[in-house]
Amino acid sequence: MKKNDLSVFEMEKDGFRIKLQKGLGDQPIIASTAAPAVPNGPATAGAAPTSAESASLKEIASPMVGTFYRAGSPDGSPFVDVGTKVNEDTVVCIIEAMKVMNEIKAETSGVIAEVVAENSKPVQFGQVLFRVR
Amino acid sequence: MFEKVLIANRGEIALRVIRACKELGIRTLAVYSDADVDSLHVQLADEAICIGAAPSSESYLKIDRIMSAAEVGDVDAIHPGYGFLAENAHFAEVVESCKIKFIGPPSHVIQKMGDKNMARACARKSGVPVTPGSDGVVENDKDAAKVAKKIGYPVMIKAVAGGGGRGMRAAHNETSLIAGYHSARLEAEKAFGAADVYIEKLIVNPHHIEFQIVADTHGRVVHLGERDCSIQRRNQKVIEECPSPIMTPGLRKKMGNAAVKLAKSVGYQNTGTIEFLVDEDRRFYFMEMNTRLQVEHTITEEVYGCDLVKEQIRIAAGEPLSPHVARAVPRSHAIQCRINAEDPANNFQPSPGRIAFYYAPGGRGVRIDSHAYTGYVVPPYYDSLIGKIITIGATRSSAIDRMRRALDEYYVTGIKTTVPFHAAIMRSGEFRDGKYDTGFVERMMSSEAFQLVPPRAHLHE
Repeated sequence: MKKNDLSVFEMEKDGFRIKLQKGLGDQPIIASTAAPAVPNGPATAGAAPTSAESASLKEIASPMVGTFYRAGSPDGSPFVDVGTKVNEDTVVCIIEAMKVMNEIKAETSGVIAEVVAENSKPVQFGQVLFRVR
Repeated sequence: MFEKVLIANRGEIALRVIRACKELGIRTLAVYSDADVDSLHVQLADEAICIGAAPSSESYLKIDRIMSAAEVGDVDAIHPGYGFLAENAHFAEVVESCKIKFIGPPSHVIQKMGDKNMARACARKSGVPVTPGSDGVVENDKDAAKVAKKIGYPVMIKAVAGGGGRGMRAAHNETSLIAGYHSARLEAEKAFGAADVYIEKLIVNPHHIEFQIVADTHGRVVHLGERDCSIQRRNQKVIEECPSPIMTPGLRKKMGNAAVKLAKSVGYQNTGTIEFLVDEDRRFYFMEMNTRLQVEHTITEEVYGCDLVKEQIRIAAGEPLSPHVARAVPRSHAIQCRINAEDPANNFQPSPGRIAFYYAPGGRGVRIDSHAYTGYVVPPYYDSLIGKIITIGATRSSAIDRMRRALDEYYVTGIKTTVPFHAAIMRSGEFRDGKYDTGFVERMMSSEAFQLVPPRAHLHE
């Protein structure tokens, strides 16, 4: 990478994803993760986005305190996944607060790059739910 | 006893409540705004949930978000601190309806005593003297003039929904009364959402003396003596002391009994404070009741040997009054100085920002209740109180000498604080003689001889 002055290298293939970044100082930072294979699988432990990439991604942050759900019902399919195209009005998740299910809209447009929050886990105000490219 | 408590507040009082909970073995959940992410109470709590953006209206006053956090955190009780939602009857009601304990009085009692006019009526009914005043809300400026003439000038026009020294206008004659009546209503509407005002006789330069009430849920009510809060600047308390330098055992008995009688008559529970005005002839008049823990609860704790926050928690958990609280007697003397992030050399202009270096005094008989630390950024969104310094002495003069010594060591750089202002008061003859009233600060600051006294140390410069 140094030879070619590359700072970021990313590859995704067959459910495997790897990202390399020429990091701060001279240490390369390697982050890898298994991309979700099925929609209802366990929550994605998203690869920590490199600082270079994070800067260019938009964030969907929680407007309230509550419990984050990716789907509208326990056995339903998630509203969105990595790769889903969204516009401002797309419902991306539910946040349950005080027994009320609140549909959360994307309020931005693009493609879901990362599912950051964990399904059925509590989220606080301002917590990042998704990153959008 | 509760397993987990949510603290619906910030700053020094959130820290105070967290400390009491930890000592009782109760897990703590802090809620905070974006501006308070590095606050000490957030760092020390077992769990913390961000509930909104910096402005109070978007975070600490957001009942829905606080209740969500309570649900997510699975808490047994909520402590409201002081200010914010502490005296919001609707909040107390919401908490109760969610089967969570509100650490304070029942919502209907908050409602009743929160209406200043209704509180006066309750006082009158239970035989507690009240300042001569209107028989309720004054409907128009003609009635205002009539009432004022009957009571005799000067008078004070006060907002029914007001409190904390706000929503008040003094009037010395009919012209200023009419003008004051209308501007007080306008201000009240803006500040409290209700324009209704009533009129009281203005007692010139009174002593502000309040009584601490503690009541359990089994009908037992006691008082823990008085605090003198006459040292005020623009109707905001700056120094408090316990006991009051003008109190006599006979007057304490009379006022204490009146306070307990009133608290019992409204079915009070948990801690509360009854505020009185005392004139030069030692006649006392009911002013208002605060249905919450007060900023100055600390000096009562030191003199009466108790932990009022722990007692609040115990009472809310259904326990009877602790024996040591029920039979507490005053010993020694305590003084509290409120340290604000304000510049006393510049009309007390707020001074938020990063504390570059922080050193708080110590030694025998010095208590510091503060969330400040080196590197802490005092946010501009909330009140300016950054700490309370309390000194205890065997006598009043030794408590004053100790406060003077301790203030000389209280070293804060990066922001301006009111430490030099308090240091000047500790050296004032009028204060040391105990012969002061609510006009004291104004007189002292306009005197030629007045000088701020900065701390002696030059640490880290």
